[in-house]
Amino acid sequence: MSAAVVSADDELEPTLQSILDQKSLRWIFVGGKGGVGKTTTSCSLAIQLARVRRSILLISTDPAHNLSDAFSQKFGKEARLVEGYTNLSAMEIDPNGSIQDLIGQAEEGEGPAAAAGGMMQDLAYAIPGIDEAMSFAEVLKQVKSLSYETIIFDTAPTGHTLRFLQFPTVLEKALAKVSALSSQFGPMLNGILGANGGLPNGQSLPEMMEKLEGLRETISEVNGQFKDENLTTFVCVCIPEFLSLYETERMIQELANYHIDTHCIVVNQLLFPKAGSECDQCNARRKMQKKYLGQIAELYEDFNVVKMPLLVEEVRGKDRLEMFSEMLIKPYVPPAGGL
Amino acid sequence: MPSLLIVVFVLQLVIHLLNTFGAGVINSVLWNLYNLLPVPTSKSAAEQKALKREFVKVRKEMNGTSSQDEFAKWAKLRRQHDKLFEQLKESEAKSDSTKKTFDSVVNGLRWLGLNGVRMLLQMWFQKQPMFWIPKGWAPYWAEWLLSFPRAPVGSVSVQSWSVACMAVILLVSDALVAAVALVVTAGTKTRTKKMEEPVKAESGKKAKGEQTQEKKEL
Repeated sequence: MSAAVVSADDELEPTLQSILDQKSLRWIFVGGKGGVGKTTTSCSLAIQLARVRRSILLISTDPAHNLSDAFSQKFGKEARLVEGYTNLSAMEIDPNGSIQDLIGQAEEGEGPAAAAGGMMQDLAYAIPGIDEAMSFAEVLKQVKSLSYETIIFDTAPTGHTLRFLQFPTVLEKALAKVSALSSQFGPMLNGILGANGGLPNGQSLPEMMEKLEGLRETISEVNGQFKDENLTTFVCVCIPEFLSLYETERMIQELANYHIDTHCIVVNQLLFPKAGSECDQCNARRKMQKKYLGQIAELYEDFNVVKMPLLVEEVRGKDRLEMFSEMLIKPYVPPAGGL
Repeated sequence: MPSLLIVVFVLQLVIHLLNTFGAGVINSVLWNLYNLLPVPTSKSAAEQKALKREFVKVRKEMNGTSSQDEFAKWAKLRRQHDKLFEQLKESEAKSDSTKKTFDSVVNGLRWLGLNGVRMLLQMWFQKQPMFWIPKGWAPYWAEWLLSFPRAPVGSVSVQSWSVACMAVILLVSDALVAAVALVVTAGTKTRTKKMEEPVKAESGKKAKGEQTQEKKEL
């Protein structure tokens, strides 16, 4: 048994120590299929990082917020310290919700988006992915001003996360079109709209353009940072099952396309039945997991593959999370003599 | 120098044949032939062919590998597959643009070689009679028409001769096509008729025997 778990000489060490050691890292994404333990992993990683960094921010972009559950503490849209820590904060943002907020603000005639209310709304629904990207941009702007040393993203299940990375190109195209149009028809529009370029509900076209341009700049700057392997890494979480592996492989390929560094895989929910266990299901499942673990080892030779056991209790609360997080750094040693 | 009559006829025949077989087919045949020559495009075309072959091979292998049982192997194949697919798309896009230029050149040359030559012949020999028709065979207006535009009256001009050649070629080719179509449809009709015939429900030796007999009759 132990031969399968204890790494061979040529394998990379099966821990996330490399992330702790890489002091230059500023953005860490934790992603994977739904239900594989992303939130637990990101919380654990945050706890470990909090021991070696000055300040950590944990952000959940998953609409099904689990941070509050994991830490048994309510988090909101503003960063809040996690109880029992002095340098670990957490916040939950809703990628779909914040655009609604933005629009709501505009309709009430206050807030930064007031001037561009109706137009913003039209745009938000016209360009695919803009809602997520805008909420991301808002958050990133906040985060940048807050000077955390490392920011950990607990992302929404696969696919959702990566869409906004393409966003600058989409917005660039849209902006180019709009500005081409406005330069062609500008004089005519101004004739209709009046001298200051006011749109029907008291919005102004130049202001609108400026806002979008600013948004694009923020996003492309952040994108540039994400593509730098010294600043950003992506931790893939999966369970040793076919669909999860399939999604992970797809995600890794996609990340490679976006030039985002990824070199860690956390394999979660491993079963280690005790020697002579009578549980047929456990033994059968262990066999299947072993097969997929073998496949992972073969396929991802150049990754840190962390193997995490399935625990008997839910990993919730500070103490259990801390216990769990230990295993990210010191490999779990399964009970001797098991399958 | 063969007789001008034959030259004009052959030219019209070639024009007709090329039009029926389609410029696209001829262009692609020429493209393939062109790539057999030691030209720079032939190398990239050969590379592309090899790439395509490899792509198909990898694809076949990938489809033959169970993703559930041998995930690592399958995923590696898939990576290879995706990479090859990208490369293939790229090289196809590149060769497409070269082929477009090639096509336009070939089209131009073909036009020059056929319609250009025809026009040249018609210009050059417009005053020359192809042959004379016996006097009093046709009324004057018909003679004038046959010699149109500039051949001496009482002879057949090169223009009239080309028109006549084209008409004959069209007639013969239409007749051929119709004959072929007739034979083919006749064949399928008898076959469908056979299929439409009710099949006897009882399966016995007798029915089988009948069937084989029918087949022999065919």
